[in-house]
Amino acid sequence: MDAHTDGEGSTEDAVVSLSGVYKVYELGEPVPVLDDVSLDVPRGSYTSIMGPSGSGKSTLLNLIGCLDTPTAGEIYIDGTNVTKLSDAERAMVRGEKIGFVFQTFNLMPRLTALENVAMPLSFRNVPREERTKRAKSLLADVGLADRVDHKPTELSGGQRQRVAVARALVNDPAIILADEPTGSLDSETSRQIMRLLEALYQRGNTILMVTHERDIAEHGERIVHVLDGEIERIEQLGESRRTPSVDEDAASAGEDAPEGEAWTS
Amino acid sequence: MSWRSIVGHKLRSTLTTLGVIIGVAAVIAFVTLGASLQADIVNTIAGNNQDVMYVSASSQTQGDIPQLGQGGQAVFTQYDTAQIRQIQGVQAAVPVGGIATAQVQYRNDSVGRQWVTVSRPQYFQLKGQRIVEGRSYRPGQREVVLNRPAARMFAENVTVGENITLVKAANGQPINATVVGIAEASQDGAGALTNGAQPSIYAPTDPFYERTVISPNTDEQQRVYSQILVSAVSIQEIEPTQGRIISYLTDRSDARVLKAEGYQFEVTTYDQLVDQIRQVSSTFTAYITGIAVISLVVGAIGIANIMLVSVTERTREIGIMKAVGAKRRDIMQLFLLEAILLGLFGSVFGALVGISGGYAATVLIDLPLRIRPLWFVVAVVVGPLVGVFAGLYPAWSASTVDPIDALRHE
Ligand SMILES: Nc1ncnc2c1ncn2[C@@H]1O[C@H](COP(=O)(O)OP(=O)(O)OP(=O)(O)O)[C@@H](O)[C@H]1O
Ligand SMILES: [Mg+2]
Repeated sequence: MDAHTDGEGSTEDAVVSLSGVYKVYELGEPVPVLDDVSLDVPRGSYTSIMGPSGSGKSTLLNLIGCLDTPTAGEIYIDGTNVTKLSDAERAMVRGEKIGFVFQTFNLMPRLTALENVAMPLSFRNVPREERTKRAKSLLADVGLADRVDHKPTELSGGQRQRVAVARALVNDPAIILADEPTGSLDSETSRQIMRLLEALYQRGNTILMVTHERDIAEHGERIVHVLDGEIERIEQLGESRRTPSVDEDAASAGEDAPEGEAWTS
Repeated sequence: MSWRSIVGHKLRSTLTTLGVIIGVAAVIAFVTLGASLQADIVNTIAGNNQDVMYVSASSQTQGDIPQLGQGGQAVFTQYDTAQIRQIQGVQAAVPVGGIATAQVQYRNDSVGRQWVTVSRPQYFQLKGQRIVEGRSYRPGQREVVLNRPAARMFAENVTVGENITLVKAANGQPINATVVGIAEASQDGAGALTNGAQPSIYAPTDPFYERTVISPNTDEQQRVYSQILVSAVSIQEIEPTQGRIISYLTDRSDARVLKAEGYQFEVTTYDQLVDQIRQVSSTFTAYITGIAVISLVVGAIGIANIMLVSVTERTREIGIMKAVGAKRRDIMQLFLLEAILLGLFGSVFGALVGISGGYAATVLIDLPLRIRPLWFVVAVVVGPLVGVFAGLYPAWSASTVDPIDALRHE
């Protein structure tokens, strides 16, 4: 879980760096979705992105996640300029440096929790035995040690999202990208996920999270406000950032969360 | 993961591979049946006497399968038979001729127009035709052998020891003869295929056969025949002996002088006959293969179709896989593997169904079972190839799915 050996929190060391990024969709006439966006995400930081619907938050996250390519501008991930990479190379960056968490979980329906978590490793030719070992330990970390053989349909929403978080961590990524990770969850389950992310942050992971909700966004050290494809302002929270119920460690979030189990399917 | 997708849709996967199953099953069944049929025919014709050949002179327009004792010009003299007997590699040679009868009578019943094959007593042994009752005729005696159908062609069945009367077509002269043996149904070359169950009467050349000519070599009046039945000392000797007989015939024989313009000597072996049968059956096989290719194409279209549906259905899954680091190649492999597994499953299952069908058919029509292992190998190779062929485009289209669109896909 020690993602960074150099993770002293030096703000000069940006894991993600965007400079002059544009994204324009051609729909008869050009529709600008991102307009000259520049942003540095320091290693080991916890950043929230907020903004109204359609402002380009997801687009921004997809660009950083190498799922999409910018119309113009440069994006550096962990020191690599990903705008110039080939399709296969970008797939490699996704596999090695990015961990995605989605609003709709996006688990493979036919695979078990364990197989879902292990899947990214199979694209990097990690031997099966090691894949299983690593996936098991990650599922235990998110409190799902007793759910490894369950299919997504046999898990509650919160549990599914925890599987997704475990999957995002399996390749020991430089950054975790979460697009409205609590968007489909009720408030109690949301809290579980926030505790999980908090624990990851405490352990030195870099987190970039898109959200609609102010109280969720306040978990970050800072909030990037996006409006109409532009960064409106960056709000530093510092000491005023919210930390989820400190009494509970995220590592035990699942094991002792009977409230969350209330609507287990 | 490919495997899981197949197992996850058992019925669909089975229906998808049905085209391949039917195609492969049909080929294996027909090939097994064809091979068994061919083995049976070859057995029937050649039996244990594959060292036998027929010497004849015929015009080229005649069919290429000889009818023993019939057809061809009577050009082979006794001298020729004796000379051929001397040729290296020849074990035995007997002349074979025919007499046309206007009528054959037994008790109060008579049958018209029968062909009587005249030869020597060894004729049956040479040909491998068994005498099932009584014995062969003796030369110089008024004795005949009937085959089974001939023994049954009269109102009452003929038994060994009784007399029948042959009325020669040439002069209307009736000849009385004693039936001394009953032979099994004819095996006269292709006759075994087409008219094996036809009645045949066999008689010694002396005293029945009267066709003679002056032998050019000896200047003597000699009997002349349309065919000579020759056996070689061994199967290996057949080909060289065949060549030596031909060169004797064309260089020094009486027949060379006697034969009509445009007639050619032929020394037909069972090998050649068997070859002809093989040719017929390979035409048959080619035909079946054509059908198979069509059904495999249909099968491939089926697989391609279901794979395309599957790609659309799993667009979101493809997006997820890409988001967590799957390269195009990974996705391509996954879908290709699925198509290959479907093809392989189809061909293996089809081969099993085919061999069962072929086996059932051979049992049903009582043939010796002949399995062609090569075709199994072909089937098992062709199945996955069909899969590759069918899966290539769907796999490619899966690999080019845009991850963002795919993740948005419901
Ligand atoms: N493939 C596309 N083609 C054309 N326009 C697109 C495409 N994808 C996104 N857009 C447009 O880009 C804009 C930003 O979309 P994006 O998904 O980034 O918004 P968002 O900030 O994530 O919104 P929400 O909060 O609703 O998720 C929207 O106006 C959308 O219509
Ligand atoms: Mg969005």
